[in-house]
Amino acid sequence: MLKLISAVTIAFLSVCSASVWARPFTDAAGRVVEIPDNVTRILTAGPPASVLVYVLAPEKLTGWVREPNAQEKEFLLPSARDLPTYGRLTGQGGTANMEAVIAAKPDLIIDVGSVNPTYISLADKVQQQTGIPYVLIDGSFANSAKTLRQVGELLGVSPRAEELAAYAETTLKNLGEGLAKVPAGERPKVYYGRGPEGLETGLSGSINLEILEAAGATNVAAAAGKGGLTNVSLEQVLGWNPEIILGASPKFISAVKSDPSWASVAAVKNGKVFAAPSLPFGWFDSPPGINRLIGIRWLEALLYPKTFDVDLKADVQKFFKLFYQVEVTDAQLDTLLKGAIEKH
Amino acid sequence: MNSAQDPDRGNRKLVVFGILGVTVLAMASMAIGKYSVPPSAILRVLFAGLTGGQPDVDPIQQTVIWNVRLPRVIAGLLIGAALAAAGATYQGLFRNPLVSPDILGVSAGASLGAVLAIFLKMPVPVIQLMSFCGGLLAVAAVYGVGAAVRGRDPVLTLVLAGVAIGAIVGAGISLVKILADPYDQLPAITYWLLGSLTAVTRADVGSILPAMVIGLLPLVALRWRMNVMTLGDEEAQTLGVDTRLMRLALIFGATLITAASVSIAGIVGWVGLVIPHVARLLVGPDFRRLLPAALLLGGGYMLVVDTLARSVALTEIPLGILTAVVGAPFFLWLLASGKRGWS
Amino acid sequence: MLELRDLAFGYGTRQVGGGVSLILRPGEVLALLGPNGAGKTTLFKTMLGLLAPLGGEVLLDAAPLETLDRKERARRIAYVPQAHAALFPFTVRDVVLMGRAAQVAPFSAPVRNDREVAAAALERLGMAHLSDRPYTEISGGERQMTLIARALAQQPKVLVMDEPTASLDYGNQMRVLGHVRRLAREGMAVVLSTHNPDHVFMVADRVAMLHDGALAALGPPADVLTVERVKQLYNIDVVMGVLPGGSSQVCSPRLGPGD
Repeated sequence: MLKLISAVTIAFLSVCSASVWARPFTDAAGRVVEIPDNVTRILTAGPPASVLVYVLAPEKLTGWVREPNAQEKEFLLPSARDLPTYGRLTGQGGTANMEAVIAAKPDLIIDVGSVNPTYISLADKVQQQTGIPYVLIDGSFANSAKTLRQVGELLGVSPRAEELAAYAETTLKNLGEGLAKVPAGERPKVYYGRGPEGLETGLSGSINLEILEAAGATNVAAAAGKGGLTNVSLEQVLGWNPEIILGASPKFISAVKSDPSWASVAAVKNGKVFAAPSLPFGWFDSPPGINRLIGIRWLEALLYPKTFDVDLKADVQKFFKLFYQVEVTDAQLDTLLKGAIEKH
Repeated sequence: MNSAQDPDRGNRKLVVFGILGVTVLAMASMAIGKYSVPPSAILRVLFAGLTGGQPDVDPIQQTVIWNVRLPRVIAGLLIGAALAAAGATYQGLFRNPLVSPDILGVSAGASLGAVLAIFLKMPVPVIQLMSFCGGLLAVAAVYGVGAAVRGRDPVLTLVLAGVAIGAIVGAGISLVKILADPYDQLPAITYWLLGSLTAVTRADVGSILPAMVIGLLPLVALRWRMNVMTLGDEEAQTLGVDTRLMRLALIFGATLITAASVSIAGIVGWVGLVIPHVARLLVGPDFRRLLPAALLLGGGYMLVVDTLARSVALTEIPLGILTAVVGAPFFLWLLASGKRGWS
Repeated sequence: MLELRDLAFGYGTRQVGGGVSLILRPGEVLALLGPNGAGKTTLFKTMLGLLAPLGGEVLLDAAPLETLDRKERARRIAYVPQAHAALFPFTVRDVVLMGRAAQVAPFSAPVRNDREVAAAALERLGMAHLSDRPYTEISGGERQMTLIARALAQQPKVLVMDEPTASLDYGNQMRVLGHVRRLAREGMAVVLSTHNPDHVFMVADRVAMLHDGALAALGPPADVLTVERVKQLYNIDVVMGVLPGGSSQVCSPRLGPGD
């Protein structure tokens, strides 16, 4: 009799275990996905997702999309430096190996970024093929706090998420208040160039130039229209004549300063050419994720030094301690901000 | 040797041997992968899949075998076989051993279809469909131009039309690449163009099966007459062959199977060029032997290459790169060893 | 059984020749003699149905060629092109088998009967010992014979041969001509084009001389192939006669010390 009861109990429990420890989650594309209650291992489909999971719960990150280089590793937690690299997981058009993904035994796959039919169908495909829940999260900058809270709850780290979200909210609030004091005439015209030639930039509304627009500066390339990233010509940039030039690649920045064809641009004449800091994750846009919050501070100090009283050193150390959980020494600070600020 | 003896007997033995060989390769490929699965589990899952039961294995292992590896192995076999068969057909039809299935623009058209679909942010099934249709449309355009132009040599006209239309389509692809978002879409486009079988599902394989079967039919049915086509248009006509109809049927078949392959795997080069050569070296030019040999060798080759692509490094190596790295040097060796008459 | 009635021939709008009328009978060898550019190849293509006549008609067994489909034509009239270098190494047997294309059902392969006909054709030309050799590895003469065997495998009543002795050595030339005579004796009607007046004397029952697209002469070589005609066609001075111990007329060009 006892044997029968225990057998039935075990059977009952095993049937339940499949369904009890799961909850539905509606992702940014409106897909309802069953998430296990206890999420301990997460695989990220792209770099913005990697950053998001890394700041919220680095111990739950299974690996990187791209292996961090030596300079970047210096600013990462020791435990995260040597995580395996899985590649981009975007189904067809990705580099991740499906079996390696399954072998990583993640409880969840997260993708942060644009939500369009291609990515939605890829998410469904991967989820169906591997049986691993796959959620799409909206990565827009303005929703940073909301994203942090939402994913924090998903990962079961709500208290930490709340801390980070509060920081995001405060940052954006301060930004708004400060910008209100800046007269329209003093909003600088900025050109942001990506790539070694620096001729790749974002049109109006592009996700890569979000924080520039959030910081109230004028993206000169917005004159070319709305959209994502695009290639422009030197002529166009000369026509726009930006007051400040920001670059993603140090090669581009040094070329701009020395190349005679760029010499006539206002920014070059006034010595306002700066490299966007990039360690351990791009402060401006590579990747366009939560890592950009510190970029706001940097832009405040750079674009509106009179309006915003920014102690960049203290802010950077605070951000890195809170988000990346690492201490930043003075020497490291110099490395981080090399070429990114005006020399006094 | 009695010349009236049925020559097909020897061929049948070779084909059976070849099928066995490919099956062994497939089973071996099923056992290789990043997620370690014991061979007994593989057999159990396959058996259960065929009989419709539930296998007694770890569900994750079942997922890996049934959802990830099996579709990939089958897709690799189908696509390798298809590209090799199409290549063998065109090499005979165009009387040129340096011809690949892309000569009439099917890969260019399929690329344009896929690239356009990615640019327009279409879901994956639409990308595959637009790719397939793009391939068919490109060849239809080439064939239409070939039929409208009253050239002396219909085959040469086709080739030239293929070059021209291929160039136009190539320009279209480049245009889309420039317009595409370098962050969002361009990597997807670039990777698609390099060819890969990552994340191919059972549904994908099912979707190309009809095209594969329908496309292979004319090639199989006309396999003896194909030999006559290698004599050239005029000679074949004097022997009583309706060359126009034959060309239409063969191009139709070869295009269907190539477009289907490209639609789920992207551009995979060199298989359609090199495998028919190897097959011809082994069994001779008689299409009755060449076709099955190309199908088996192509399928086996693609299986090996894809197994490498997914197991050599932690991330996937695009198929197009691997087939070029293996195929091109082999091709150079073929040329250098001076095989006259491709015999 | 092959009749050309006032045939005008050419490509599309460009007429190459016209006014050709002749009848070819079974067992007859008709030689077509003419300089390059006279239109021999175009005439052949029109006879075979590869080109449409620009005027007049081609009749095969009293039926206009257009009314017969390609298969029907192939069963009655066969073409032997000049032996070319082949691309793919088919065996001699396989090449000859291709001659059965008109008899083999569309989606089938040759059957035992086809293989026997092909073997018999090779046997008839003394080529059976080369059956398994690749076509690409045999000599020019053997290739020409293979193509003749292929044409014979069609079991035609008419054989159209395009310069069958071109690029063959002296011995092979004679061998091919010998086969042509033999085939004619066995009932085949043969039309062959040639540049060599000696061959005409050796092998032809009648010769048709084509000049500027028109039939300059038609008749037995003894009557028609005269010194004047050769001069008209080729602008060469020749002497003709039968050599002591010889069996047919020979044609010898007069090349003086000044030439």
